Formats: sequence, structure tokens, C-alpha cells
Amino acid sequence: MNQSLLWCFVSLALVLGNAFPTLAVDFENDVAPILAEHCLRCHRPGNAKGDLSLETDQQLRDSEFVIGGDADSSHLVSLITAAEGETPEMPAEGKPLSSQQVKLIRDWVNEGASWPDGFRLQQRTKADADWWAFQPLRVDPDTSLDELIDRRLGETDLSRNPTADRHQLIRRVTFDLIGLPPTPEEIDAFVNDPAPDAYEHLIDRLLASPHYGERWGRHWLDVIRFGESNGFERNVLINNLWPFRDYVIRSLNEDKPFNQLIREHLAGDVLEPNEPDVVIGSAFLVAGPYDDVGNQDAVQAAQIRANTIDEMIRSSSEAFLGLTIGCARCHDHKFDPIKQDDYYSLYSTFAGTVHGDEVWATPSERQAHHDKSQPLHQQVASLEKQLRDLDDAIKQRESESANPITDQESKQRDEWKKQLDQVRQQLSQIPALPRAWLGRHDANRAKGPFHVFLGGSPQKPGEIVTTQSLVAMSTSDDQHEPSCASIAYSLSGDASESERRLAFANWVTDSQNPLTLRVLANRLWHYHFGTGIVATPSDFGYMGERPSHPELLDFLATQLRDHGWRIKPMHKLIMMSQTYRQSASFNADAAAMDADDRLLWRFPPQRLSAEAIRDSMLQLSGVWRRESILPRDDTSVSLQTESAVPSGGPGFRLYQFMQDNVCTYVPLDQHGPETYRRAVYHQNARASVVDLMTDFDQPDCAFGTPRRSETTTPLQALTMLNHSFTLDMSQAMATRLAKASDQVSDQVDLAYRGAFSRKPDDEERADCVSFIEQHGLAAFCRALLNASELIYVQ
Amino acid sequence: MNLQSHARRQFLGNVVSGLAGIGLLDLLGSPAANRGFAADLGNESAGGQVLPHHAAKAKRVLQIFCPGAASHMDLWEHKPMLEKMNGQPMPGEENLVSFQGKNGNLMQSPWPFKPSGQSGKAISTMLPHMATHVDDIAFIHSMHSKTNTHGPGCIFMNTGHDSEGFPGAGSWVSYALGSENENLPAYVAIPDIRGEPPNGKANWSNGFLPAKYQAITLSDQLPIRNLARPESIDAATDQDTRQFLQRMNRRFAASNPAESELQARVDAYSLAARMQLSAPEVSGLESESGETHRLYGTGDSNELKAAYARNCLLARRLLERGVRYVNLYCASRASGVDGLLNWDAHKTLKADYERHCPVFDQPTAALLTDLKRTGLLDDTLVLWTTEFGRMPTHQEGTVGRDHNPDGFTCWMMGAGVKGGVSYGATDEFGRRAEQNPTTVWDFYATVLHLLGYDHEKLTWYHNGLDRRLTDVHGNLIKAIVA
Repeated sequence: MNQSLLWCFVSLALVLGNAFPTLAVDFENDVAPILAEHCLRCHRPGNAKGDLSLETDQQLRDSEFVIGGDADSSHLVSLITAAEGETPEMPAEGKPLSSQQVKLIRDWVNEGASWPDGFRLQQRTKADADWWAFQPLRVDPDTSLDELIDRRLGETDLSRNPTADRHQLIRRVTFDLIGLPPTPEEIDAFVNDPAPDAYEHLIDRLLASPHYGERWGRHWLDVIRFGESNGFERNVLINNLWPFRDYVIRSLNEDKPFNQLIREHLAGDVLEPNEPDVVIGSAFLVAGPYDDVGNQDAVQAAQIRANTIDEMIRSSSEAFLGLTIGCARCHDHKFDPIKQDDYYSLYSTFAGTVHGDEVWATPSERQAHHDKSQPLHQQVASLEKQLRDLDDAIKQRESESANPITDQESKQRDEWKKQLDQVRQQLSQIPALPRAWLGRHDANRAKGPFHVFLGGSPQKPGEIVTTQSLVAMSTSDDQHEPSCASIAYSLSGDASESERRLAFANWVTDSQNPLTLRVLANRLWHYHFGTGIVATPSDFGYMGERPSHPELLDFLATQLRDHGWRIKPMHKLIMMSQTYRQSASFNADAAAMDADDRLLWRFPPQRLSAEAIRDSMLQLSGVWRRESILPRDDTSVSLQTESAVPSGGPGFRLYQFMQDNVCTYVPLDQHGPETYRRAVYHQNARASVVDLMTDFDQPDCAFGTPRRSETTTPLQALTMLNHSFTLDMSQAMATRLAKASDQVSDQVDLAYRGAFSRKPDDEERADCVSFIEQHGLAAFCRALLNASELIYVQ
Repeated sequence: MNLQSHARRQFLGNVVSGLAGIGLLDLLGSPAANRGFAADLGNESAGGQVLPHHAAKAKRVLQIFCPGAASHMDLWEHKPMLEKMNGQPMPGEENLVSFQGKNGNLMQSPWPFKPSGQSGKAISTMLPHMATHVDDIAFIHSMHSKTNTHGPGCIFMNTGHDSEGFPGAGSWVSYALGSENENLPAYVAIPDIRGEPPNGKANWSNGFLPAKYQAITLSDQLPIRNLARPESIDAATDQDTRQFLQRMNRRFAASNPAESELQARVDAYSLAARMQLSAPEVSGLESESGETHRLYGTGDSNELKAAYARNCLLARRLLERGVRYVNLYCASRASGVDGLLNWDAHKTLKADYERHCPVFDQPTAALLTDLKRTGLLDDTLVLWTTEFGRMPTHQEGTVGRDHNPDGFTCWMMGAGVKGGVSYGATDEFGRRAEQNPTTVWDFYATVLHLLGYDHEKLTWYHNGLDRRLTDVHGNLIKAIVA
């Protein structure tokens, strides 16, 4: 049974329970919910099918749908009733009403069909405007992160673990912040550092590392469904979207305030049209999948366009607001206070955005290009004109003379043609301005008025919508005073495409908007601890989980706001806490109370992500190439410009890409040295399975992925044991170990320290040594790269 | 998985794994019971995640998919009116513009239809072998789709959604039922020798379900990836390496006894080793008798037919060994030439289908015969699907048909399905589903019903919704359930 039905039955049971003692029908509690749930969607102002709206009782009575005291003559009753075995006429969509529901309505009519004065029937959502996530941030200024954790633990008579040892700590924080294992040298330095603030220094060092952005940028790319092919039937690779990936990595390394980052995602091209490094941020809008198959059927074409805009609405509302606004496409949201109007307000916001590439250059680059090419274009034009004039003159003479062209003219023509070829040659040698997958913002497509699409169909335009902030967060009523009513916006119908996007961007990122801050703070917590305070990081609505520590969430959100939306200070705040630093040791008593560790009585152990696993293999084998490896001779890479991220640039591919009418991606059996870059630089195409990456739950980027799965499958074992990549890495690691020492036991120690951040004990060492003596170092490394201990962090 | 853990999950749902403290349940105060959820890191390598909701008729599914939009009125649904009005305008839709553009007049099927079996069901004479099975088939002639584009159409037919990222029916069934044979994957996709279908791997994606519910691609032409021991490593070293690795992994698991993932990982490596033995065995078609090979046509001189026949035989062997869901493709993605690699007969219907039908007919019929005679059909549900249908008219200037999302045929057969039944119909021309219009969601509501599940209860939480294979729709097609 789906949730809505379940709740329908639960509420019905409650209704019946209440009604039972008196046998009288209470309209507001008994009947109105049935009408609202089953009838109102198609019979309301703006969508009054059969010219009937049930918002008030007027039409019901005027048209004799309801005749008080006479259910048998009331048309409404006959519509919802059917003979045994037949289906009643109404509801037209969905299941017939239950016999109890029909009886309630009959009884209500027979009892006089009372409808309280001024009562307006409204579809109820499970969450109202007073939903927790919409409320202002509430913070006790004197509290601390640890105190808030300890308070909840204390309520359950639990307590935190003691601090983890330094080997565990450096392994934990290094993977957490840069997605790689600490090197043996780094471990030694930290473990032996006598300074009282050694741990803080470690955090600072990692936060300053350029690899920080590669790790945390990847998290963000998950959230915003970044992918480099268009998906759907053709699924063509997009070769010039990588500057956006590098922009994200760079922004994180620079600790760009996230309100700025999000604003740039939504409207970078409006904010600073002359600044390519900002404009590229708005590629977010077109970094999702879209259907580009030409469709001559106008109805289908309109639907596809609506789907494309829907993708942008969903991606941005889930990533930034933690709201599933996409659920309000066909009808008001069933659970959250999101109206269909809210959805179509965003539709009007993104209606001008079209996928594709555009020139991506500074004004001076454009000018320089213009200055170089313009004179040549002029020469071309004038030469072409001269040739045309000459040809025209000759043509005129054709009727008069058998030999219309003079020798001189012939020579002249050849000369001009030669010149033309030369100029064209010069023109072709001017490098074209770089183009990136920025999308286009077409003011004409975005001209209003915009309508609600009834049932989500572009063929059924309903009422005109206003471009405005989310209604539930913008208007106040008797019951609640929204925290961000002061930042609400409502634009006039003639507002431009760019004004609409900018208004939305500013509203989302306003420090008075508690939702964006909460959602972002929760994402940080989620990546540090494996589970967010809200366990559904892109859904803060009714269907999402409730916060395990509401005060902590608000504390973090406030800190984030007070740090100017910069997240590096937030990492430090979280990682300096005792909660973060505690050991991961298991405690059976605590587990009996809280098996999922939601209260954080221990640090939750985590499995590495697919990227971290592959990156660790590259580091351990010593083949990791940190510089960008631009395939200069590869003509498929259309944008070859220097990246601001040293290791960035066009992505590498772990598949063979084949294109005829559509595209096919065949996973590679051999991964050459050009692939020895961090996995964040892989050109992730949609729906293209790639061995290790997919086996370890790298998501397909069809949607934003706020939380990855962690599965254990035999396929992982097959890939990790048998793919040539593991063999190549084992061989390289073996060579490296052999170079470092000629003593087998030293080689074992070094391997353990690199892979597991610890030394082997005597028994382990003896087992390894005897294995190496029999089968060699490479076989040993193959086993080590498959070890559970390599991919679990405690 | 033992019964106890199964019962526990049933009781608490798979989000809440053992919260017993008073006041803790309100932590997760949302309606969480019986929701699939990303926090469910269940490590059972074999068992299903959801107890059946009622007694099942079918234990496993074979889904045959003919991509490219196989024409209903040229294969399965006889339209005598097209013969009567051949060459005349289609009444009411004289100026029809569809996917590729303008349509011409009505066009009869190039081949006659002939009644067969006791039911007297008439199907195209291009499918003489399939005609021997009509008494066991429940045809659904009133399917309609949301989209007229192949890629979205294929994934809609496979996942219940016309955009990417949703799990295929096979993934849902793996999630629900788990594996019947620990040594083989639960869900296998068998792509055609000509390539992947439109939208490629998204057709058998696990979507937002965990990777353990993904399909393994395997065909007679394409072994399971990374299955074989690398050539550069001899068997003895490989064996010793695995043992050494397992010692290392067991030690680590033993020192962290509470982390069940670590034991699961040890088990996964053992399972992988067993798979390395089982998978080559299942692919070993040479162990089948000469009679069986002839039945399927695996040695046919038509190489495409022989390749598909071998995949049909492989499908039977997979089902026989307990694979839950086999997704068998006959034809592939679109090529530059319409209708060449798949059933997308835009311009030259006759020539195209005279190429495709012989590839499809005998091997598919043989597979059904084989399932019957081995008794597998008693608890195997067979589905035949395509993404949409074709127009009753010819495309202007051609002798082919354009896409028609408004009416097409799919069918079911086997466990729990009535035979010799034709449910629903398109109008007299085949233009639109008219009688009992049926959606992809109705189709899968019925499939899940036969497998023991209420399609509304088989859910997985993802981005704001408890997602279902049937989206928010679907009604059981009672008329075809035995």
C-alpha cells in the first residue's frame, strides 16, 4: 500500500472512531477530507472539470449535485455509487471510494448537508507551512557541538567513546578531507608530533591541500547530478563541460562562500557576464540529462521540452532547498506545502534555458579575436564582391559576344581568387574562441505569461502563474509567521528571464532562508559521519527523515551563516569536536539501544567510495599522475584550454566511446597510463557501466545522489581480482616496494603502513613473508589491494 | 539469510535496524515501516528483501524484448479493415504528423494473418513457429505508451519511467525475491549480437537501488566481465592468493566482530569463486543435445538467427539454474539506417521484417517449447515486450510505418497466465488502444502480482518518494490471470 493510501485509511479510521459515539456526521472532520483527497484535484478553481468546483458548496447546491436531506436525489451520491461489480463514475481517476466513505457522504447529505459558512475545501498536506524545516534557525548561543551530542546520548544513558588513537585519526581525517590514505611519512610525522595542537595542524594541512577540492568537489558533483553525456537515446558525450567540474574543484579549494557558489550555479551568466570563471558556474543548469532526439510530433515535442525544464526544477530544488518541488508538477504536493503554482513559478524561471555550448571567453579575448578576424572578414567580403561584380559584367556580355571575357579580366579573376584563398587560409588559422557547455538563455522562449499545466500536460494550460518565492515560506497567516517573509519576491509578468533566475538565486541563498543553510550544514555532517542529522539530505519534507538532533542542525546552520557560508571553517569545527575524534570501537550495550549509531556513541566506520578506492590504488602503486594529461592529438576533445586546476582539463575515459546514430560505451579491458588520474577527472557518461566505479556504487548521474549506497557484491571481488587494472597496480606497487627495500619483512611493513596506516603484527608479517617467498611481491600486492582493511575506515 | 533476521526486518522495516531505546523511535518519526532505503546496507548475498504479500504463481521471469517498436498490426493484432481500406486516407486523421513527419494513407500488412491453435488466434504468417504457441499466450492488444521516442520508450517499458535513473523490473524483482541460486546473479540481461537496445544500459540499470541488484550482462557472444582468471596468473598462484587474501580478510573481520559488512565481504569473495565455476558451466551450450540445437536453430546459416538462437538457449539454461530475471533482447539500437538493426521499420517495412521475423520466430518458439517440455514454464512467467507500436498508415513517400505510442501489443505466457486469451484491442485500424487501454504500469502490476507482490507495497525511498516500479499507477489485469 502506498503511503498516501495508508494515511488515508489511518485518518479514515480516526474519523470513524470519532464519529461513532453520536452517529452524526461531522462535515469538517469526516466528509471534507474525503472530498479533498478524492475529488478536489479535478474540481477546483483553475481546474473545474465538468464546470464543477468543490472549493465551496455553492456550485454543489446550484447544480443540485447535493440536495440537503435527500441523498437519493443528489447527483453527487449517484456518481460515487455503483451497482455490485461495477465501477462508479467518479472519481474518474484513482480507486472508487470505500463503502464507508460513500456511507459517510450519504449520511451527511441526509442529515442536511451542512457546510460551515466560509468554509473552503483545501487539499491538506501532511506538512504545513509550520513544518519544522521552514522555521527560523533556533540557537542557544552558549552551546557546543559536543554538548548537543552528549545531551541526546545522556537521555538514553549512553556516552561517547574515548578518543581514537593517532594512527586511526590520521587515516580517518586524510580519507575524509582528501580521499586518499596518509603516506607512511605523514603518519610518522603526526604520530610523533609532540605539539599539543598536532591534530589541529593536521586538519589545517589537509584543508589547504589541493586534493581537498577533488574530494569534496566530487561530493558536490553527486548532489548536483553532474554528468558528461546527454543521456536518453543518443547519450552523446559532452566534451566541453569539464571546465564546470574544474570550477567546482577550484571553488572548494578557494573556500568560495557557498551562497555565492549556488548563486553562480543559478545565474552566474547574469551576475558577471564578462567573467568566464563565474559564467561557467551556470553550466549547472545544463549539466543534467536531456532528450535531444528530433520529434516532429508537436505534442510530444512540447512534452519533451517540459521534461527538460522539469529536470532543472528537480535538480535545483533538491540540491539547494532539500525540497522535492518536482512532485508538484501534476498536482499540489501530496505531503509538503508546495503548490503546483510553486512548481510553475520555477518553470517560468528556467523556461529560457537551453542545453548546448557557447563561446566561453573574456571580453578582451573576444575583442582580440574580433580584431584579428574582422579585417580578414572584410577582405573576404570585398574580394567576393569584386568577383561577383566581374562575373555579372561578363554574364551581361555573354549574349552579345562569343568571347565575353578579356584576358586581363581572366587574369584579374584568378588573382582575386588566389587572394581569397589566402585570406580564408589566414582566417582558418586564427584559433576559434573556446566554447564550453554553458547552455543558452533565450529571452524569447521565456516570455510569459506562463500557465500551470493541468495534470502536468503542456496541452492543458491552467491559470497564469506568478514568478515568486515559495508560497509557504513567503506568506503569513494566523498560525504562522514565516521566517523569511521579508525576503519573499514576486515578479511582474514582464520580468526578464535573467531577472527571474537572479531573484530565485538571491532568495535561495539569502542568509534569512533557513532551509538552504540547514540543507547545506546537514550535507557536511552527512559526509563526515556517513549519515546526516537528516538522513535524507535532499528531502527535508514530510517523506524525508526527521532530524536526529534538531538543535545541532540549527547550531551548525547558524555557524555556517556566521562563517559567511564558507565550509572550511565548518569542517574544522566538526573535526575538532570530540564527537568526531572518538574511536569507532563497538559497544554491545550501546548497540542494543541504538544499533544504527544515530546518537553517535562511536565514530561510524565507513567504506571508501569508488573514487577513493581507485585513487588509493594509484597512490599505493606510485603511478598516480597529478598533472593534467591533455590528449592534445585527440580531436574528440573540442575544448583544449588550460585549466585553472592543475590536474584538471578534459576527463579520461575508462570506456571506449562509439558513436553512430546513437552512442555505445564499452568498458575498457586495459587502463593505460593516461587513466592514472584521480577518479573525479573521469568523464562520467550517463548509463555507462564502468567496472570498479559502478561495482562500488558510483551512482549513475541521471539524478542528484545525496547519499550513496554501500553494497557488497561478488562482482566487486571479480573486478578487483581479475581486471587488468588491479594487476597493473599490483605490479607497479611491487616494483616500488622492491625499490624501497630488499628485505621482505621491510617490504611487508611498508605495504601495510601505506595501505592500512599501521604495521603488521608478528603473525601477519610471518604470513605475508612466507606468501611472498612462495609467490612473489606482485601476488602479495594483488591480495593487499583486495583487502577489506584497505577500503574500511574507522 | 535466516528466518529470524527476515522476521525482524519485516517487523521494523528496513530502516530501523534494532533501535530499542525508549524515545528513540521518534528520531525517525516518519512513516518508515517497510520502506526500502539507502541506509539498508543489508549484506545478505542471496535472500530477498521483501516478504511476498500473497502466494506467488511465478518464481522467475523471462522477458523477451524486441526493440525498435515492433509493429502490432504486422505481427500480432490482425486488422482486416486495413486490407479493406488499403490506400485510403485514415478517417479523422487525414493530416497526421507523427515522430518523423507526415503520414500517407492506410497501408495493409504485407503478409496475411492465419488462425492457429484451438483458440483460432490469427497472427502473421511471418511467424509460423510462434503460431504453435498462441493457445498458451495472453495477448494484450491495448498497450499504450507516454512517449513516441525509442530510448525513453524502452526504459519506460523496462522501468515504468520514461526518464533515466530508475531501476529495471529485473532489479525490482531481485530486490524483492533475491537469488534462487547463490552461485549465479539474480538478474541477467542478454543483449543482442547487434548491440545494446536504445538507451543502452539504462534498460537494465539498478537505478537508485543498491548495486547488488544490478543486472549482469551476459550473452553467448559476451562473457561476464572479469569472470576469468587473468592469463598471466597461473591457477596455483591464483588459488593461494585467494586463500591468503581470505586469511587477511577473516583476521580483520575477526578483530571487528560487530561489523557485519566485513564478514559479508569474506562471503562475497567465496561467492565470486563459486560464480567462476558456475557461470562457464551455464554458458556451455555444447553440452546440449543435437536435437535441442536443431530445435533452436543455433547452427542456422543466418548468422543473426544462429546468434539469437544461442542466446535463447542460454536464457533457458539460466532460468533452469535459478536466475530470477532474464532480459533477452532480439535486435538492438537504431543505426543510421532505419529498421536495419531493429524493428524500426520507417521506410521499408516488408524488407525489414523479412529480415527480423526469421531471426526471431524459430528460436523464440523453441525456447517456449523447451520451457514447456522441461516443466519450467509451470513457475516461469514469460513476457514479450516492445516499446510502442507503429502507425496504420505508411509514412509519406515510403512503404514503412512511423512510431505509434497510442496502441501496441505485448503478451504474457506461463505461470499464472491464462492461455489463448486476447485482452483489449486497438480501434479497427490499429491506431489507438480502444478496448481496455492498458499501461506499462498495469502490465507490471500484473507481473508483480504473479510473483506474489502487491505493486503498491514494493517500494524504495528515493528523493522524496517511496518509489515503485509502477510509479503511482497500475491496476492488475485480472482478465489474463489464471
